[in-house]
Amino acid sequence: MVSTAVVDTVTGPPLQELWKTRHDKTRYQWSSLGLLTPTFALLIFLFLVPMGFAIYLGLTNLTLIGPTAVHSSFTGTANLIRLKGDTTFWSSLWVTGIFIVGSIVGVVVLGYTLASLLMRATPWMRVVVGGIVVISWMMPAVTAGMTWYASTTGNGTFGTLFGHPNANLLDAQPLLVVTLASIWSMTGFSMLVMGAALRNIPSEAIEAAIVENASTWQRFRMIVLPLLRPTMTAIVLLTGLLALANFALIYIMTQGGPGNSTNILPLYSYQQAFTFNNLAYGALIGNVMVLIATVFGVFYVRITTRRI
Amino acid sequence: MTHNDSASTSQVTTTVVDEPIRPPENRQTQRTLVRSLTLHTILAGLGILFLAPMLWLFLASIDSHASWGIEWPHFSLINFRHVLTGSLLHSLWNSVVLAFISTTIASVAGVFAAYALSRRRIPFKGPLILFIIFSSGVPLAIMVIPVYEIFSRFGFLSILPTAVFLSVTSLPFEVYLMKNFIDAVPTDLEEAARMERASTLQVLRRVVIPLALPGIAAAAIFGFVNAWGSFVVPLILISPANQQPAPIAIYTFLTLPKAQFGNIAAYSLIFCVPVFILYAVSSRLFREGFVLGGGVKG
Repeated sequence: MVSTAVVDTVTGPPLQELWKTRHDKTRYQWSSLGLLTPTFALLIFLFLVPMGFAIYLGLTNLTLIGPTAVHSSFTGTANLIRLKGDTTFWSSLWVTGIFIVGSIVGVVVLGYTLASLLMRATPWMRVVVGGIVVISWMMPAVTAGMTWYASTTGNGTFGTLFGHPNANLLDAQPLLVVTLASIWSMTGFSMLVMGAALRNIPSEAIEAAIVENASTWQRFRMIVLPLLRPTMTAIVLLTGLLALANFALIYIMTQGGPGNSTNILPLYSYQQAFTFNNLAYGALIGNVMVLIATVFGVFYVRITTRRI
Repeated sequence: MTHNDSASTSQVTTTVVDEPIRPPENRQTQRTLVRSLTLHTILAGLGILFLAPMLWLFLASIDSHASWGIEWPHFSLINFRHVLTGSLLHSLWNSVVLAFISTTIASVAGVFAAYALSRRRIPFKGPLILFIIFSSGVPLAIMVIPVYEIFSRFGFLSILPTAVFLSVTSLPFEVYLMKNFIDAVPTDLEEAARMERASTLQVLRRVVIPLALPGIAAAAIFGFVNAWGSFVVPLILISPANQQPAPIAIYTFLTLPKAQFGNIAAYSLIFCVPVFILYAVSSRLFREGFVLGGGVKG
């Protein structure tokens, strides 16, 4: 080991050459390109190229089967006009909005409540309740959807728990139930992040407020909330993004039904593309999702970089 | 209560010896006791509400006569024995293959990029990092329709190309996570290795990767869990039936006319186990401070 190092030093570039290098200009190492190529090649070919392709695809008459599956052509704004008059699309957008906002509110409120209560609970309670919430977050979406379906259908756990064993909650309040399931499946993340942020609040600030006779509500509003705001904003944006793409949970529970009452955009896009074979129209609906996700994503970048 | 208190305080002023300064202290402990009791009751209630939906999964899996309803099980492990055979077992194996390949691709590509973004001078570095953060938040699985069209034109609708696409859905967050960990590794050791004329790959393998291992492991676990639980991507992108991973098997199970509920529950529970184990491992890695970022579940 040592000997090779010595040999390398001898056979390295002569000293004069090292002196010649200019230090007043930024120098780039060629190996950086090699290091970055795999990641950015993957991101370009499987993220940016499909994104650009989807914009074109949304303006064609491509279908999954039939003659236009092979020879599709550019149809300009025909799909856009169709989208404008598509009442199912507008209702789907509305349902998506309710689903996202409901998920965000539930995840933030429950995440904060659990995090702040667990901080003051006995270690035993912390392990059990914290563990249950984290497990519900870790559970893969397919399993979560299935066990929620079982719990809210006739004879399910929730009906039995509230004394109406035969009630089919999922049929009675489909959007509410899938939103609750979505909250259930994301609260663990919010609880962990919020807990970490709460532990970072200096205890002196709280103690000073107690000395000043500040009420619990005042302490929350004047100290905890301002210090927690960046964390909460990040959770709001991430929850929104995850809810927007939460295909599996709803697909397993309701498939968008009954009627179109839980048909959020990713489901409607899938339905148009693969059930009704309108691949191009499905891609256009997907583009609307990308647009919404981009708005959330830009805010997410801003909040993340501000904290660094 | 208040009546008694005022009486006792008046007593204190008169006979100091008989009544020590105890009452206010008692009230204090009593109040904290009540508060702690409410706190634990609320927590227990929330815990029960969070546990309730899972209950069916556990009970039905050990019930030989399970249905969608909740009931006391007829204890039996027969469901577990039923589902660990034939095509169902093969689907679990497909999930393992899919998750392993996608994790390997994302972690290897990611650690190179994370190192370069952390240490090197790169033109347009700022925008590149912003692009990584942006795509770590945006769930890339929404790209699935154009990717389907591209894959079908090239005849790629099978497990390996799907694994590559899944690796891309977790790659940005992995890069971001690993970059943060590599940023925290001191540069001294790396410079020492450079003095010995170690190549970039040697520096990575001998110095950076061992020191940033917790972060790299956490990123890899994230990638694995992401690919393991992914549903919509394999549903659309994998066409051969014998290459379908476990989530699709679970879904197919549900659509059968005569569903075996006990088997579904047992199979889903087995499917969850690796995720729980990996979480337990990663929570140790994360204990130093949870890094906030896109937790994309597809």
